[in-house]
Amino acid sequence: MKSNNAVKLLIGGALASCSFCSYADVVFNGFASLRATSADSDGGTSAFPTHKADGDISFSDESLFALQARTDLGEGLSATIQIMAEGTEDFDAEARWAYISYELSPQHTISMGRFANPSFYQSEYQNVGFTNNFGRLPRAVYAGFDFSTIEGIALDSNFTFGDYSLVTKVLYGNWDGTTFLAATQNDETFGFKDEISVRVELSKDWWTVFAGFFMVEIEGGSVDSNAILGATKSAVELAVSQGATAQQVTEYENAVIWGGKDGLYGYSGFHIDYEKFIVDFEFANYGVEDSSDGFNRAWYTAFGYRLMDKTIVTVHHEKSIQDEGDLEFLKGISHPTLFATAKALRNTLSLREFDAIGVSVRYDFHSNAAFKFQYLSGEDTRPNVQDFTVLSAGVDIVF
Amino acid sequence: MKAILLTTVLMLSTSALAVDVVVHPSNNAALDKGKIEQIFLGKLKTFDGSAKVIPISQVDSNPVTEEFNTKVVGRSASQLKAYWSKLLFTGKGQPPKSMANDQEVMKLVADNPNVIGYVTSGSADGNVKVLMSF
Repeated sequence: MKSNNAVKLLIGGALASCSFCSYADVVFNGFASLRATSADSDGGTSAFPTHKADGDISFSDESLFALQARTDLGEGLSATIQIMAEGTEDFDAEARWAYISYELSPQHTISMGRFANPSFYQSEYQNVGFTNNFGRLPRAVYAGFDFSTIEGIALDSNFTFGDYSLVTKVLYGNWDGTTFLAATQNDETFGFKDEISVRVELSKDWWTVFAGFFMVEIEGGSVDSNAILGATKSAVELAVSQGATAQQVTEYENAVIWGGKDGLYGYSGFHIDYEKFIVDFEFANYGVEDSSDGFNRAWYTAFGYRLMDKTIVTVHHEKSIQDEGDLEFLKGISHPTLFATAKALRNTLSLREFDAIGVSVRYDFHSNAAFKFQYLSGEDTRPNVQDFTVLSAGVDIVF
Repeated sequence: MKAILLTTVLMLSTSALAVDVVVHPSNNAALDKGKIEQIFLGKLKTFDGSAKVIPISQVDSNPVTEEFNTKVVGRSASQLKAYWSKLLFTGKGQPPKSMANDQEVMKLVADNPNVIGYVTSGSADGNVKVLMSF
């Protein structure tokens, strides 16, 4: 609800501004992905939430359209709105981004509104398939988090030192919404409060190195009340029947919940594009500190080669694991049944690990359009997934 | 006779494949190939640390654009589209405006000291200054 109100406010503000500057041009740009996807797994459940694991071809699982309108209001002020319609949402259009930017100087631009949450290196443009050489960005890192947008204020800066280019971003914002939890098979609410995000990107000629992080205070929502405390209610009742005191139950609840804890997300990596060779690596580490959420470590490595001018073949490996072994959060729980419950909860929430190898082919048949094919084969630790494959082919365009 | 004809053809070919980077006659900025590349990639935003630079491109269908992209920016049209898409759809930058021909570029350059553009080698008139040739 907050998000919708913010978007309405921004759109209204931009339109109101435009009524005073009818000369302002509105520039439209857009991007789209039209992809046929077939996913299958030994366990019968898809490795990724947006796919159906029935082996059938879907034209909606990974297809999307987006239109961006930007108006230059003069004196460095501009307003931008980006509307996106995803196949998984029945192509219902949604204003994903709406923000106003002001160019403080040629090097610094400040923006306010709703925009992409730069969780990882390519998060800000992860939906623009034309910008990458994969059939699908490695899901180990780009898992499709619900908090891909955020409302707040951001400062984008760029500097040059000789042949070196440095790009930075500092952001402050908040987010609340829902996320699908496999543990409850439901969308559960939670939020980010006081997110502070920093990213740095240094490049020269054919190489780029980058790193970034963000930290937030988690608002637990129904993730705490349903997925964590609700799911273990009977175990807590058992502990109480065994003599657990109210103090011990509080110890347990304080240990396992996410609300009020710090969420930490960090990433680093490099990109090399040297003549015919392209190499990418990104490592991400994230989780909720001192809680039942085990820290995730995910990374991918990709090697690409340009065949002639318009074709790129990319082979990549991706892996995602959760640190089940870090049980430091249990140290405050004194009752053995509650201790065992918290440990089991960690295992339940950390049930997902996978690694996969993929081959992607990109063919630029037009300066604004690329045909892409990808075959991905992997193994997931969830019993209802196990070995899986994803085959996809489609077109990414920008305009 | 054949030798003269061949030489002429080669000269014409060379001329057609060359590109001149042009600025306003009053612009005394010292730019090398690396700086020009940075300007056309939106990385370098000023000529001398103060005046904002406005790069102007030409449409993809013009042969001079491919020459400039290859020789100066070092990227194909698709690579440049992908590069600018990252900036455009994150609010971090706008690609250079594309003009239809050399004349349109030279008019903008002649009218604005902050503009830098490129034209087919040899087509620059007296209202602009050729900064570098590639």
